[in-house]
Amino acid sequence: MTDKNNKIPFNEDNYTHNINRNNERKLDRRGFMKTLVGAAGVFAVSSLPWGVLAAKELNGLEDKKYPKQKITDVSALPVGDAVDFAFPGEHDSAILIRLSEKKYVAYQNACTHLRCPVFWKKDEGEMLCPCHHGKFDVETGAPIAGPPRRPLPEIHVKVENGAVYAVGVKRYEA
Amino acid sequence: MKKRLYLELENCIGCRSCLAACTQCGGHEERNRNYVYDVNPLVNRQTMPLMCLHCVNPACARSCPAQAIQIHETGAVLSALVEKCIGCQNCTIACPYGIPKFDTEQNLMYKCDLCIDRTKDGIPPMCASVCPSNTLQWLTDDEIEAKQKQFNLDNGKWVTSMPYLEGETNVKVNLPGILQGVTKLF
Repeated sequence: MTDKNNKIPFNEDNYTHNINRNNERKLDRRGFMKTLVGAAGVFAVSSLPWGVLAAKELNGLEDKKYPKQKITDVSALPVGDAVDFAFPGEHDSAILIRLSEKKYVAYQNACTHLRCPVFWKKDEGEMLCPCHHGKFDVETGAPIAGPPRRPLPEIHVKVENGAVYAVGVKRYEA
Repeated sequence: MKKRLYLELENCIGCRSCLAACTQCGGHEERNRNYVYDVNPLVNRQTMPLMCLHCVNPACARSCPAQAIQIHETGAVLSALVEKCIGCQNCTIACPYGIPKFDTEQNLMYKCDLCIDRTKDGIPPMCASVCPSNTLQWLTDDEIEAKQKQFNLDNGKWVTSMPYLEGETNVKVNLPGILQGVTKLF
């Protein structure tokens, strides 16, 4: 009878059930929730710099300058043939197609549907994505069949001293 | 010098001063938070005050799902925090003495907090400071010890709420001699 109900404190976890005034905000559930929300806020705020960087990157795409890059020699590319290269980065695969004696077109050849490599079908005269049979107009890069809805990003090329150079990227504009 | 509320229940004359004082205690919003009971209604006129006994291990606070009832460092069990209380009335059910009162309009519990704004600075709670018959006293532990000597003990067991009523309490209660079977000297 004398020690009935009188074990202070009960042998229980008091981190979620605290009734001591002085442990308020240290041990109770609300303190825990405040810690969670505060941490979430800290994470959210600390991610803002990356958002700023991304926004800068996206806004600055228009006037982004890449160093010109040699693709191939004119003599190595007969009319109607294509050659694969990478521009501007080593993972941005691209394709250069020689349509006539003077006319070259180049596109980043990741299909705008699911990024399969688009290749040049010489005998059909069209650019084909093998994954879902998306087709692109070779003159403009615009999609003409299949699932892709956006044109391929065009790469500006320049012919100098018997070689073809990639000088810039004309990106897709919504 | 830690002082406690000490109830000498036999002295009560039923004047309800403690209730009136409680309504005027700071932060009590004109509501009294203690009780004056008839001990034997319709048999005799003896009354007794009952206020929160401020358990060391309070059932109300342990039953509160929102931890709205907190124990102050002085040992006082505070009234429900307004911003936490969810009005579930668990505490009113859990309290073995029936102390917590419920405000159905605001859906909040309120109970005696031993006038914490006074007692935290060593000032006696309102009820004790107005009691005309010394039923409610504000005493140190030594003074409570000295109270024993006023009693003739035949069993060596003079108690102020010891052994505990339901558990150890910070407020000490001297149950009336009538109930204890002991005679008061004074």
